[in-house]
Amino acid sequence: MSWLGDFEAELSARGVRPAVRARLLAELADHIACDGGAAAADAGTSACARLGVPREIARQYADELAADDARHGAFAAFAALSCAAVALVVSQITLGRFVGYPGFDHGFSVALSLPAIFAMVVGPQVALIGGTLAAWRAIRRRRATVLAGAEIALVRRRARVGLAAGVVTMSGLLLYTADFIGVVPAWWTALSGGLGVAAIAALLAARRTLGQGAQTVVFASGPSGDLFDDIPPLRRLRGHPLALCLSGALASGTAVTLAEWHAEHSLAEGLQRGIFEAVALTVGFALLGRAVGARR
Amino acid sequence: MRAEALKGHLDGLILATLANGPAHGYAIAQLLRDRSDGAFDLPEGTLYPALHRLERAGLVTSAWSTQAGRRRRTYNLTRSGGGALRERRHEWQQFASAVEAVLA
Repeated sequence: MSWLGDFEAELSARGVRPAVRARLLAELADHIACDGGAAAADAGTSACARLGVPREIARQYADELAADDARHGAFAAFAALSCAAVALVVSQITLGRFVGYPGFDHGFSVALSLPAIFAMVVGPQVALIGGTLAAWRAIRRRRATVLAGAEIALVRRRARVGLAAGVVTMSGLLLYTADFIGVVPAWWTALSGGLGVAAIAALLAARRTLGQGAQTVVFASGPSGDLFDDIPPLRRLRGHPLALCLSGALASGTAVTLAEWHAEHSLAEGLQRGIFEAVALTVGFALLGRAVGARR
Repeated sequence: MRAEALKGHLDGLILATLANGPAHGYAIAQLLRDRSDGAFDLPEGTLYPALHRLERAGLVTSAWSTQAGRRRRTYNLTRSGGGALRERRHEWQQFASAVEAVLA
């Protein structure tokens, strides 16, 4: 087999995507042609001395590509989630300021409004955690040429969790919008529906970007790192997942209680929402804590 | 010079080569060898992964062109590539003068 054929086989074995592979091979074919083709007539010692060992070059290339793809995917996910956040905020602010929030039982059915509201309350928090942690790791490791396979998997998992939660949130918004058609003005329905659809399109595009290079086989080994590497002040809670979960639940529950108490002028209502928040965070930690690197 | 010794400096050397104008991979390899009097005779296959890495980082751009009937990829330094090159030169000068001070 020629050096080029050997290199192509190595790139294929490492899952380097066809378009990238084709370009790299075309450039090397031109290089070999410039050189008179002598160096690459076979995959023997002289070709390897001149061009390098195909397996080593392919491995290095695949590792670097996978690291860049994972970072790129994390940034794309964060950007799409930011668009979704804007869509949610704009729809809710315009509803509150210009229309007034309808009661949850004033739409077609509470079977629509309750899941919609649940998705719009819980989804953004999961999306914020998953998307931010993915982007933060990508920023922290932006100068690393190669990332360990486990670390790449963690970045991808965080971004996937964020994107899935973003889609759930926007689906909730669309469900909410549909539930209150006829109760709210048509302009708000159009605005909220349009923003929801656009945000879902952005999230799906980001999912596609994140999927790019997912087949690449990474050889670089090492630990994935965890939440405590990303947020050093939390390090004293490493190895104590229950303490981490309870601290988070207490902090977020208290914050929501105080905010709602202030907004609704009712301590009872504040407590009700604060407890819901704390329970939701605990359930979220149990379900997704491992996926985002918050516990082993 | 051994390829391992070049590893940490390859990106900077490629950027410096492209500072003189656009070039394709083979020309870059030749320029590196010529300008170093043959000292930088690296395995040429390793040059392309480095060029792709620099492109993904936005430090170079590339485009296919046809020269003498042959289709080839020509690389160009970007504005941020120029900035990165200045930074690497500065770092190298500091490093070299520190080593010189110790060795001398």
